[in-house]
Amino acid sequence: MDRKWWGLAFVLPVVGFLAVFNVFPVLFGFYLSLTDYDLLNPPEWVGLDNFLNLLDDRLFLTAFGNTLVFVLGATVPVWIGSLLAALLFDQGFRGKEILKTAFFLPVLPPVVVVAVVWRMLLHPNGIMTWLAGSFRGVTEIDWLSSTVLAPAAMIVVHDWAVIPFFMMIWLAGLAGIPPELREAAHIDGASPVRTFWHIELPQLRATAVLVAAISTINAFQTFTLQYVMSADGGAGGPANSTLVLGLLVLKYGFQYFRMGDAAAVSVVMFAMILAVTALQLWFNRRAD
Amino acid sequence: MSRRSIIRTAVTAAIAVVCLGGSPLARAEQVTIKIWMHEHPPRLPIDRKIIAAFEKANPDIKVEYEAIAVADYPTKLLTAFASGGGPDVFNAFSGLVAQYYNARILAPIDYAAMGYADQKALTSLYSGGFDGIRFAGKLYGVPTEVSNYACYTNNKLWKEAGLDPNKDFPKTWEALPAIAERLTKRDSNGVPIRRGFDFDWPSRPVSWLVISSMMHQLGANIIDESHYKAMLDTPAGQRSMQYWVDWANKWKLGGPQYTDSRTDFLGGKLATDCSFGVWGIPQMVDAKIDYTVKPAPRWADATHDNGFDAYAYYMMVNARSPAPVQKAAWKFVRMFTDDAAELFTGAGLFVPRKEVTDLPQFKTDPSVRVFLNELRTAEFTPRVVGYDQVLDAFLRGRDQMVQGGQPVAQVLPQVNQDINSILRREKAKAQAMAKAN
Repeated sequence: MDRKWWGLAFVLPVVGFLAVFNVFPVLFGFYLSLTDYDLLNPPEWVGLDNFLNLLDDRLFLTAFGNTLVFVLGATVPVWIGSLLAALLFDQGFRGKEILKTAFFLPVLPPVVVVAVVWRMLLHPNGIMTWLAGSFRGVTEIDWLSSTVLAPAAMIVVHDWAVIPFFMMIWLAGLAGIPPELREAAHIDGASPVRTFWHIELPQLRATAVLVAAISTINAFQTFTLQYVMSADGGAGGPANSTLVLGLLVLKYGFQYFRMGDAAAVSVVMFAMILAVTALQLWFNRRAD
Repeated sequence: MSRRSIIRTAVTAAIAVVCLGGSPLARAEQVTIKIWMHEHPPRLPIDRKIIAAFEKANPDIKVEYEAIAVADYPTKLLTAFASGGGPDVFNAFSGLVAQYYNARILAPIDYAAMGYADQKALTSLYSGGFDGIRFAGKLYGVPTEVSNYACYTNNKLWKEAGLDPNKDFPKTWEALPAIAERLTKRDSNGVPIRRGFDFDWPSRPVSWLVISSMMHQLGANIIDESHYKAMLDTPAGQRSMQYWVDWANKWKLGGPQYTDSRTDFLGGKLATDCSFGVWGIPQMVDAKIDYTVKPAPRWADATHDNGFDAYAYYMMVNARSPAPVQKAAWKFVRMFTDDAAELFTGAGLFVPRKEVTDLPQFKTDPSVRVFLNELRTAEFTPRVVGYDQVLDAFLRGRDQMVQGGQPVAQVLPQVNQDINSILRREKAKAQAMAKAN
């Protein structure tokens, strides 16, 4: 047999696996987004109707807005917080490694465990109420059943859980900066802030793009925290204040059995993530 | 391989085929019915017992039985139906049956297969319970449970507050807050550490059912089932919703921030709960609660003397199953539903059949009698197509009013509009299906 046929024979199982379990579901999802499908009856072709309907779908618009707020809260503070933590742990000080390990701990448990634990901590009469309310004599705070506090609480928990992860990426980036550059700046009398701003930060551009891309994609895909932590058992409450696009896909697909709408929301999510990532990459290339 | 060993292998294989598979002729006569039920642990041994008896009495029918976790059950049913499969016999909550009916999944009852002369011969055995499964005059299932809620009091907590449920239990919604306040224990900040009474806020079906009952008492419906129309934005709807808002925000007697009322009642953190059915009695006994059961409060100016709405579980047959399988399935439904007395005594599942209401408990236990009396005047919870979507829209509105502090008059028209748009969509689908058929 020809050498190239042998090569094809070897890659065929993997290509087949990817085609069946990756490519086909994605393409089928695109197809479903153009149909009206309720599981009980065969899919009916509706063209772009599902996408057009989303424009005046109050549930989608609410979820879209909530997702944007969450993305904002789960990216900018994470970039700044993780960079500051990395700069701190990039310094030499006593007990640094122990402290760094302790700081990294929230990354280790699965998100669902983090969510369950925080749900208990944020009980209206729980530990966080005791900590936050004891100064003012408050004995009950509706952390997860207030339309204002619930989405904010989820952003804070998310940021708490992911900042250490991104700190490690920043630390890897910082470790890659040639020490001579810092030494030269030091010899020239540059202050630490100036050294960071003019020497380290430009060197961290590739790391910054990576951090920004991963954190943004993750934030857009948020689901577990809202599903587990919300006071109404993952329905997106109170009053849809924690309904994000990921949760809406589940709701449309497997609670309302509106598969076409669920697929359309997924396609919109996909497009948003693609656009933001492309923008970040373009920005990075342009800066080069 | 020697010739002898080849012959031995061939003979062994032939015997195995005959023993394991049976003859082709015998197999052709055998019918297999697939049964799916939601998991209710006390009922499972009864299910298995009935199935064994059924297979013994009908050697030509084989039963494949599966009990599925309650949370997964509706999704699993729909995905199975979607793939063209699904069970031949299944049970479902009355709130969900309309979607199966609209999708032409429900087979009308085959009275002959069940051994009844006609519809009357079946319904005459029951004193109610079929309203949730009657569509255009035809019946599509048989009740395996008909349930309604009533109010359980924790007598110890009532006594502590100097109250006696038999004398002091409020007859009206208007009188309830004052009694609940007397039963409520608050901390120094006024936060209830034990509530006198509270609604089951986290439960969507219970919230829906209670509001619907309050509206029924005022002579209104939450949904006009036959016209696919929401009726929440009516004086009765506004008054009922305002009561819930005031309960949490004005009287501060409870609210959605608390865990489900059933858990709190069984844990002694709630003095009164109105979200248990007659099936709650064993749970009271297990939790060692000295209890009294009282009827639901009514509005002082109620036009209808109903308690909480009734709901049911029905055993139904898949219209897409082959005709012989459907016949066998209805035969099974007959045998299962004939065991009503055991389903009540063994699993607490009540159906209003004579052999159940003739049980000694109904004559001696005043708690059970309260449920039965309430059931006589109860309205059936409306069957809603797009049940989950409608309940979500309703709860979204409730939360906007209670937790978001938005006025009832402002939110209810929007909720009504949301529900109407869901119902319009479902109606259009139903009409398209009817046209296609």
